[in-house]
Amino acid sequence: MHKFIILLGLLFSNLLFASTADVETNYTAIIMFILFVGVTLFITYWASKKTHTAKSFYTAGGNITGFQNGLAISGDFMSAASFLGISGLVYLSGFDGLIYSIGFLIGWPIILLLIAEPLRNLGKYSFSDVVSFRLKQKPIRILAACGSLSTVILYLIAQMVGAGKLIEILFGLPYYSAVMIVGGLMISYVTFGGMLATTWVQIIKAVLLLSGATLMAFLVLYQFEFNFNQFFSEAVNIHSKGENIMAPGGLISDPVSSISLGLALMFGTAGLPHILMRFFTVPDAIEARKSVVYATGFIGYFYILTFIIGFGAIILVSNNPEYLNDSGALIGNNNMAAIHLSHAVGGDILLGFISAVAFATILAVVSGLTLAGASAISHDLYANAFLTGKNNEKMEMKVSKLATIFLGVLAVFLGILFEEQNVAFMVGLAFAIAATTNFPILILSIYWKNLTTRGAVIGGSAGLFIAILLVILGPVVWVDIFGNNEAIFPYKYPALFSMIVTFVGIWFFSKTDKTKTSTVEKKLFESQYFRSQTGVGIDKPNAH
Amino acid sequence: MQIRDTKKIYHQLKQARIKILAPLILLTVTSYFFFIWVIAFNPKFFGALIFDTNISIGIFLGFLLILLIFLITLIYVYLANKILEPLIKKIKKNA
Repeated sequence: MHKFIILLGLLFSNLLFASTADVETNYTAIIMFILFVGVTLFITYWASKKTHTAKSFYTAGGNITGFQNGLAISGDFMSAASFLGISGLVYLSGFDGLIYSIGFLIGWPIILLLIAEPLRNLGKYSFSDVVSFRLKQKPIRILAACGSLSTVILYLIAQMVGAGKLIEILFGLPYYSAVMIVGGLMISYVTFGGMLATTWVQIIKAVLLLSGATLMAFLVLYQFEFNFNQFFSEAVNIHSKGENIMAPGGLISDPVSSISLGLALMFGTAGLPHILMRFFTVPDAIEARKSVVYATGFIGYFYILTFIIGFGAIILVSNNPEYLNDSGALIGNNNMAAIHLSHAVGGDILLGFISAVAFATILAVVSGLTLAGASAISHDLYANAFLTGKNNEKMEMKVSKLATIFLGVLAVFLGILFEEQNVAFMVGLAFAIAATTNFPILILSIYWKNLTTRGAVIGGSAGLFIAILLVILGPVVWVDIFGNNEAIFPYKYPALFSMIVTFVGIWFFSKTDKTKTSTVEKKLFESQYFRSQTGVGIDKPNAH
Repeated sequence: MQIRDTKKIYHQLKQARIKILAPLILLTVTSYFFFIWVIAFNPKFFGALIFDTNISIGIFLGFLLILLIFLITLIYVYLANKILEPLIKKIKKNA
């Protein structure tokens, strides 16, 4: 731990003195950020004393309350990408930002109604516990780990690149040091403090972000005496697209894309490993249920705020020369709309606060992702697929910490590698994979009696393969990145097609499975279903 | 006696859960795909303004949908705690 503190000290001196010349150093932001890091490192130190067992490392001992977990889940969802990205999208084209917000939110009732309780009742540390409850451990764990790791790594790259760019603009820090600071802090939170530290970092950040966004929306609406009529008409008058910002624009143009994107967002949320993992931090199904209500409330409220912030930026930022460069575009890019608005309504102090919160947000989200990825490596691949469940908790803990460091270094490396690439498609791909692989095997293992190992493995991996292939052959990668003239697969979003492949594959190869093990697997369904519905035999939380 | 009791309550639990889940899932899926469907086929409808305000139908319904999503989770938890949880408690007692 000491070595880490010294290392972090070095990184911070970097932060203070290595500012590039063209950006003004924002001292309020730096002070607030250092304060945040100080508090979170103290929490990590406190958590490290309580994190001795695998259970405490993966699930914070299972003693987080529904309310706390709701805040932590909403924190996972309110990433810097969704705060700055959605308010930036609203700033750019108005209504279209709302399509994304609602897509991200609609997955929550699905999680609550179909997944949260059975997940908590059947699993221990990760959703693969649930899928392999009655199926063959080794192949299922490997498949689930592949699904989890590809989701986590894609998401991490997108967050890392976004983080580097953002910090470059906000703090005037070189891209490399920004990415390395994020990587270093995230490794120390997760390796020393496990899920307990990761959860509290997420909770603190969620509270900060919600308060900051609330304050901004309040200050914007205050100028219009809370008259929405006047607020929207002012925005329409100022925006170059005029009244078109009140209606759907070009985000979705054909029905296939709209359904495909809709499916990916709706079911992808229910297959994100770092979100699913949070349901094991609460003691029982009752608290799991509660946490979804709180999370949905906070996330929904947050999206309403980002919408107001985006429109506020149209009115207060888009024609203020202070925030525009010579060609009349926003300094930085459109994603900076919320940041500039914070300065417009609250001066240097609010700008500093919101910048620090944006940085904190990135840190908290990448920590949660890394923890989920590390558990896929240590719990699923190492302990259950490789050691085939022979209980060796000490080694599993060691492996999970090594996996965290490995993923952290990998994230920094990939973050630097992809600096100049368009990474926006990666979050979309992560959702598509989650909806195509993780979600179907999870939901079918809970509700479909006839699911067998063979069906899950063939269907799940076929879907994973197709989803990645279709994205590579689609317009974003094939045309925009590889520079070909025409896409081989015409749609941006693969989920509709890849989900059909998965479900049909799983259905066919399960139905035709006549092996002995498959009969046993089907027989085990009744008792599994009983436990999933009632929680009899559930894994208990740690005693205090 | 106890085992038969458990079986009976478990059956009740499954029935009750389906009765609560079915309408809520239907409401979630249809309202969302209606929203997406209008965006894909009839975006002009969402651009129209409500009466003599400057707020468009799309923005109004979008906000309403966010509220509805939250209400769905709230209704489910209320019903689950009121109807399902007592049944689950009985089963746990017998187990």
